[in-house]
Amino acid sequence: MRRCAPWLGVSLCLLAACTREPVRVDNTLRLPLINDPIFNPLLAPDIGSVMVNKVLFPGLVRPDEALRPLPDLALSWAMAADGLSWTFVLRPGVTWHDGAPFSARDVKFTFDQAIDLTSGSRLRSDFAAVAGVDIVDSLTVRFRLKAPFAPLLTLLGYNAGILPEHLLTGTKLTDAVAFNRTSPIGTGPFRIERVAPGASITMARYAGYYGATPGVERIVFKVVPDVNAQVAQLRAGELDLITIEPANLGSVQNAPGVRVLQVPVVQHWYVGFNASTPMFASPVVRRALGYAINRQAIVTGVLKGYGDLPGGTIPVALRDYFDSAAAPIPFAPDSTRRLLASAGWNPGPDGTLRNAKGDAFEFELLVDKGNPTREQSALAVQQDLARVGVKVSIRTLEFAALVRDRVLPATYAAMMIWWTTPPDPDQFSFYSTGQDNNHVKYSNRSADSLLQAGRETADPSQRRKIYDAFQRLEREDPPVLVLFYPREIQAVGSRLQGVPKLGIRDALRHSEKFRFAR
Amino acid sequence: MIRFLVRRLGHGLVVLLLVSTVTFAIMMAAPGGPSLLADPKLSTAERAAIEERLGLDKPGSVQYVRWLSRAVRGDFGSSFLYQTSSLATIGTRLPPTLLLAGTALLLTIGIGIPLGMAAAARPRSLLDRLVTTTSGVALAVPVFWSGLMLILVFAVWARVLPAGGAVTEGESLGVIDRVRHLLLPALVLASAGCAEVIRYTRSAARTTLALPFMQNARARGLSARRILWRHGLRHALLSVVSVIGLQLPRLVGGAAITETVFSWPGMGRLGVEAALGRDYPLVMAVTLIVSAGVVVASIIADVIQMVMDPRLRHA
Repeated sequence: MRRCAPWLGVSLCLLAACTREPVRVDNTLRLPLINDPIFNPLLAPDIGSVMVNKVLFPGLVRPDEALRPLPDLALSWAMAADGLSWTFVLRPGVTWHDGAPFSARDVKFTFDQAIDLTSGSRLRSDFAAVAGVDIVDSLTVRFRLKAPFAPLLTLLGYNAGILPEHLLTGTKLTDAVAFNRTSPIGTGPFRIERVAPGASITMARYAGYYGATPGVERIVFKVVPDVNAQVAQLRAGELDLITIEPANLGSVQNAPGVRVLQVPVVQHWYVGFNASTPMFASPVVRRALGYAINRQAIVTGVLKGYGDLPGGTIPVALRDYFDSAAAPIPFAPDSTRRLLASAGWNPGPDGTLRNAKGDAFEFELLVDKGNPTREQSALAVQQDLARVGVKVSIRTLEFAALVRDRVLPATYAAMMIWWTTPPDPDQFSFYSTGQDNNHVKYSNRSADSLLQAGRETADPSQRRKIYDAFQRLEREDPPVLVLFYPREIQAVGSRLQGVPKLGIRDALRHSEKFRFAR
Repeated sequence: MIRFLVRRLGHGLVVLLLVSTVTFAIMMAAPGGPSLLADPKLSTAERAAIEERLGLDKPGSVQYVRWLSRAVRGDFGSSFLYQTSSLATIGTRLPPTLLLAGTALLLTIGIGIPLGMAAAARPRSLLDRLVTTTSGVALAVPVFWSGLMLILVFAVWARVLPAGGAVTEGESLGVIDRVRHLLLPALVLASAGCAEVIRYTRSAARTTLALPFMQNARARGLSARRILWRHGLRHALLSVVSVIGLQLPRLVGGAAITETVFSWPGMGRLGVEAALGRDYPLVMAVTLIVSAGVVVASIIADVIQMVMDPRLRHA
């Protein structure tokens, strides 16, 4: 007995530590982050920072469920007839979390920094059209533009949270370490209460918030980098909302206390062909390859149904601009063979297509390592193209290596990749001739002028016509082989309500609406 | 003794310098480079501005010399990902790792040595087989799997322990809350090392028990317990101590995975994040601190061995 005593003691202590987890009744929303955020919307493009900054730092506008801009820090706005300036009337009575009043000076400061190449700003390309911001009076600002720029309003509601001039002026944004890492001040519905590095960010209701009283008392962002761990914490009631990949669906479907929601997001996933190589220069070849892919099989098999079939590069989530009248790109391998034959690719004795010189139609498809959806989609593309006699070898690389070593120097043939864009149809920087982000080296004079007109035309019905024409053109000369538009899969604790039907990042622009059922 | 320490510390510094050179070279040679620059949406001008701001526009050798000259003055540079001093970032993440790894080390020693001795005392008994088999399984099972299984069982199904984190966020619940969070990750982290120590202790004790001085003790009529736990243990520990000294790199390496699975805010996870993001300053700082820890631990293990073994002391 004497010998057992210490062990008995230890066991009892362990048992005591293992008291049953209390069912949580507190009014705290718990969300996961995969990395420690930097509290500055200008400096940090990573997903963790973007999520937290959407709560802390409201912008002039925010998107509604149709992704149209609603007033936020600006109450109203007007564009000058020449499209070269926009005037915003700001909301009166707004205060920063330290009590200081919000004014036009903050707006000017934020955008002066945003467009400054040396400030460390990551929003510079978003606002490259902005020449400057003028203060008209303490609650009115005017944006001066270099050229008419229709996406301005959307971009103001995207990542451009407003920063406090009174705290940040005079130092380099990147040097404001205390602000960026531990003690940021915003105008949002929740203020920072505590930051535990690597672990969590606790926010509490800000009593002086200008909007509706938030539905929850606190938001805790927990750093949980592993998606399996996120799922476990959701099921254990320690998280309230997570976004998952189709591969994780099995572990949340039918789990007690968990609902699965889906939201179309502004992304298009595609196979990009390097149009500067002879193999992919011809629009006919790119169009032909598009017909060879059984996209329905990918959406059903890889995405488990959580995706939409594409017509072009403008996704269905942009419901004002997606061309819903046109049918999705058909699955027609016979057309592929016919079109490729017309481009000089004919089946050789082994079934592989060859051109007049006898070269086989074979290329390497790059895909980034670690994302099951992209890896499986790449396999599906490989198999579909094999059926029409095109030989594809798949090569997986780390994302950074894929982008920096292959995509940027354009030393690739094909890549499996995606664009996440602001909720605006403007794709000038991706698909206009010679633009920095036109990694597929697409060049089409008509597309150039349509994309140029699209970003300069503010009138919605005119704009719609332009992007309809662009989407029709894409059917003939596709810039990329669009595979699908994914939907964001949100696994949500059953008590949570009020979540806007938006991707989680945009939904967090409405953080005051989240609440728990009694 | 003092001369021994000075010599070992000198060796340690050379090791650290070598580690820094090799790490820097490998890091520069790794494909992709800093993830900061891998955003496909950056314009050419923006990318160039970032490279200039971080000094990445210079050749690798220049970057290394610049890094080294600052590092010897205690400045390990600013982390690319965290945009703040690398040392300060590590400073906030080191204590949780020390707590986790320290607890795991205590568990390793506290469970491993007694079980190994007990198994050695009665070879091929039920206890011996049980201990040997369990430790074999513990060595073989990958940490991320056993970790997730424990979370499923204790946090999702039984709901008796938290699924992750070091404390309950947003609340201050004191020591018991910390212990509850520590339990599963420490157990997982300790498991493989514990299994190793059990096996080493068992075989060392078996060898010891067969030595003539043990027969002598038996002939002197000492009790079996006294022979095993006093004379046998002390001799067997000599070789076990060096195995325990070797646990440190494993604890740090294992901590990276354990910390990820259990969302533990430690330095292991930070190191992985830094390596994946090619956060040069942070990778260098983490590597050097871990290496320094390993160097110091091996010196301590040697000192303990010298204290325990009179032959080494007088050699």
